[in-house]
Amino acid sequence: MRRRQRKGFGYYLRRLLFLALFISGAFYAGKIIYLKQQVLPVKKILADSVLKGRQFEAKVQQIESGNLKAYLLEEHSNPIISIRFLFQKAGVAHEPEDKGGLATLLSEMLTAGGGRYDAEAFKEICAEYGIKVSFSADADDFSGVLQFPSQYQDMAVKIFKSALYEPRYDESYFELAKTQQMMALKLQQERPEQVLNERFKQFIFAGHPYERQALGSQKSVFDLTVEDLENYRQTKLAQSNLLIGIAGDLSADKAANLLQKLFGQLPKQTEIEISSPLIIETTGAEQNIDRQSAQAVVKFAAQGTFRDSIDFYPLYMANFIFGESGLTSRLNKTIREDKGLTYGIYTYLTISDEAALIQGSFSATPENLPQAKEILRQEWLKLGESGVSAEELAQAKKSLLASYNLRFAEIDSIASMLLAMQKYRLGIDFLDKRNDYIAEVSLQEVNAAAKKYFRTLPDMVYIGARTNVEEKK
Amino acid sequence: MKKILLVITIYLLAAGQVSAKLFKTTEFTLENGMPVVVIENHKAPIIKHMVWYTIGAVDEIRGKGGVAHLLEHLMFRGTQKVKDGEFNRQMTELGAESNAFTSYDVTAYHQFADVSKLEALMALEADRMRHLAFDQKAFDAEQKIVYQERQQVVENNPAAPFNEKLKLLLWANSPYGQPVTGQNDEIMALKYEDARDFYQQYYAPNNALLVLSGDIEPATAQQLAEKYYGKLPISNIQRAEPKEETEVFDATLEMALPNIQAVKLVWQYLLPKHQTLGDEIYAYEVLAEYLGGGETSALYRDLVIGQKAAVTVSADYHYVTRGNTVFSVSMLPDNRVPFEKIQMLQTMQSALEQAMTNLSPKVLEQTKRKMLADLVYINDNPEEAAYLVGYMLTNGFSLENLDTYADKISQVTLQDVQKAYQKLLSAPKVTGILLPENMKGNAQ
Repeated sequence: MRRRQRKGFGYYLRRLLFLALFISGAFYAGKIIYLKQQVLPVKKILADSVLKGRQFEAKVQQIESGNLKAYLLEEHSNPIISIRFLFQKAGVAHEPEDKGGLATLLSEMLTAGGGRYDAEAFKEICAEYGIKVSFSADADDFSGVLQFPSQYQDMAVKIFKSALYEPRYDESYFELAKTQQMMALKLQQERPEQVLNERFKQFIFAGHPYERQALGSQKSVFDLTVEDLENYRQTKLAQSNLLIGIAGDLSADKAANLLQKLFGQLPKQTEIEISSPLIIETTGAEQNIDRQSAQAVVKFAAQGTFRDSIDFYPLYMANFIFGESGLTSRLNKTIREDKGLTYGIYTYLTISDEAALIQGSFSATPENLPQAKEILRQEWLKLGESGVSAEELAQAKKSLLASYNLRFAEIDSIASMLLAMQKYRLGIDFLDKRNDYIAEVSLQEVNAAAKKYFRTLPDMVYIGARTNVEEKK
Repeated sequence: MKKILLVITIYLLAAGQVSAKLFKTTEFTLENGMPVVVIENHKAPIIKHMVWYTIGAVDEIRGKGGVAHLLEHLMFRGTQKVKDGEFNRQMTELGAESNAFTSYDVTAYHQFADVSKLEALMALEADRMRHLAFDQKAFDAEQKIVYQERQQVVENNPAAPFNEKLKLLLWANSPYGQPVTGQNDEIMALKYEDARDFYQQYYAPNNALLVLSGDIEPATAQQLAEKYYGKLPISNIQRAEPKEETEVFDATLEMALPNIQAVKLVWQYLLPKHQTLGDEIYAYEVLAEYLGGGETSALYRDLVIGQKAAVTVSADYHYVTRGNTVFSVSMLPDNRVPFEKIQMLQTMQSALEQAMTNLSPKVLEQTKRKMLADLVYINDNPEEAAYLVGYMLTNGFSLENLDTYADKISQVTLQDVQKAYQKLLSAPKVTGILLPENMKGNAQ
């Protein structure tokens, strides 16, 4: 009994221990299997998807008519046509120095009546036919868009030609456009981010025409005359500095014909100013614009690279990982997702004729601002020192390859893309090659670019950083 | 010359009248009752995938303002199967533009992606409909993020106090008078349980709508929707109808605020729900277009071009909502002449009366043609189509309303518009006057 008892006791104890171990082992094994089932099998879902392997071809053609050239993408699923075009080096930076706001005012006046259509008739016809004509000016170029239902092409051509060749500049509309532009200038002072945008340009581009305000100043707009506008139109808008992208419901023959009808009467040549690229050297300098607002708004920038540089794709990937890939970017993960310091922080590459920048922006309440800025600086220098990981690059590539087709969502955005392909001289076969450009970037190249462009801190301007503001009632 | 031109215009447009159906849509219901709409657009192999919940800020308990919006953020912070951070990582890897929004009436989650990725999107979206599992740490971070969002999107606009006060006045104690984001103190007082309970109460297939817009055939869409969403359990959704505003009086709000640079005027009229109004909504929409739909509208011609009293003026009718509908007119007076409040309000009043006197059958037809001319573009972008259809259907409209839209607009008569205007005049109204700080008390 005793033996049995003794043996029994130890025996059962060991059995119990063993059983406990076995159970826990089985439990953990089970848990692992269970957890595996609990993970959403995204890869398998994609591999088994009934939707994979959809072929899609976007054929870009170059069409020509006389001196005129354009890129065309035919797309007939909807009876609409969109034409995007720009006159190179006819934008704000190319206005005469004392004529601030000229290009913007001209862009308004071109759609305020032309030829036999007064402003009222012009706008009425556009509205009733669904014809959209507008012009705009950025720092480099004077741009325009013409969109219309394909059945109303004849009317669209008539209306467009009246705008481009025979602007009326009727006095009451000229005064109205000036008043509206001066009002827009005033309203710009209301929003902190808009005040910041202008001041940021002045800080980064001090002394260069890129610092100019597109709307001009109250005085320069007030002083503008019809002669100023007309002189600008006649000298800056020509065939030699014109780029055109066409997309939608028309054939190549019809597009070539349309090209001639729309732009054939422009002067053949214009003088274009040769410019040299700006080098922006940043040192981590900061400028504070004093103003009371709920949140500080921040913009920062450092030297980037031009579209034709061999650094372009490597830097593009580095920046994508750093601040462009939405909520999963390094900056959003650290400053937003982990700490909740901001609603969002983004960086992007901007390329103008004479300046290439890495730019970024975010907003944060004044008490969060020092910490957000500190993490930004740390992450910036970390990228410069250690680069990105192979895993990060692989994910960025997957993302950029997978999102390729999103650029074909809308006829008008396709036309814009065709225009950009020409402005940045990407070649007519760019769409065929784009995914290779992304796929072929190596980790070494990305990290070399990171080292080169994220070595020194960006310069920064912010507004509304006052922490001792009175509590609002 | 102009007359001849317009006559020609009319004939041309009559010949090319818009076809009845706006979109190529197919509608069906899954086994568990979840409704699905497919909008076909085969231009490119891409798709907009949206799940709409008929739940929004108006369904919040008073004092818990902002919980619908905070929960929307938490929907990105992990489920039982997808850990925190993984949902967003998947979206990036899938090359999907992923986002969500919360409004008074609805909350929607959406992605725009290559169609080859759709099944993964559906699996992830269906997963978070019933199995959300965010932790306290994620809650704390998102609470701070939505607070920052309110500062950025609402409070950094110097007109924000005016805009929010105006809403309160118009809507009295209805939840439509409260900000969608919640007030600052409400946001910071929200608790983990508030968001969790809101989720458990309202997120289920029987309170949702799936919209698929893009390169997909209805049969495939149905098969996939059934596979990913069709087995999700339904929930017993109990919702108190949003509280009606008790009594609304005509009111005027005059406010001078820092950083405001120019006077702004707004008139808002509270009208019944679209279900109550029926086809009358089209008359109000035509009225808004006639009065203030762009630079060819009656008020613009009179006040901006004719009298030079304003720099711009516009009118708008908002009726895609579960609640009462709102007609509004806004105006930016010309600041070259000193602002005289009484005179400016009278100027608007007589401009409205003059516009209604001038409304002829010919001008009415012109207005309606302008409204229909842009419909040709509506089918272009699959994203925009998805938004439009989703908004309509979650706010009590049907696909039939979309298909008959052009006809309904065409059928609006002069009497309909005049009647709508008369009703507008007797509707509860707020007048808002926003002034630069230095004009405080000077506006008489």
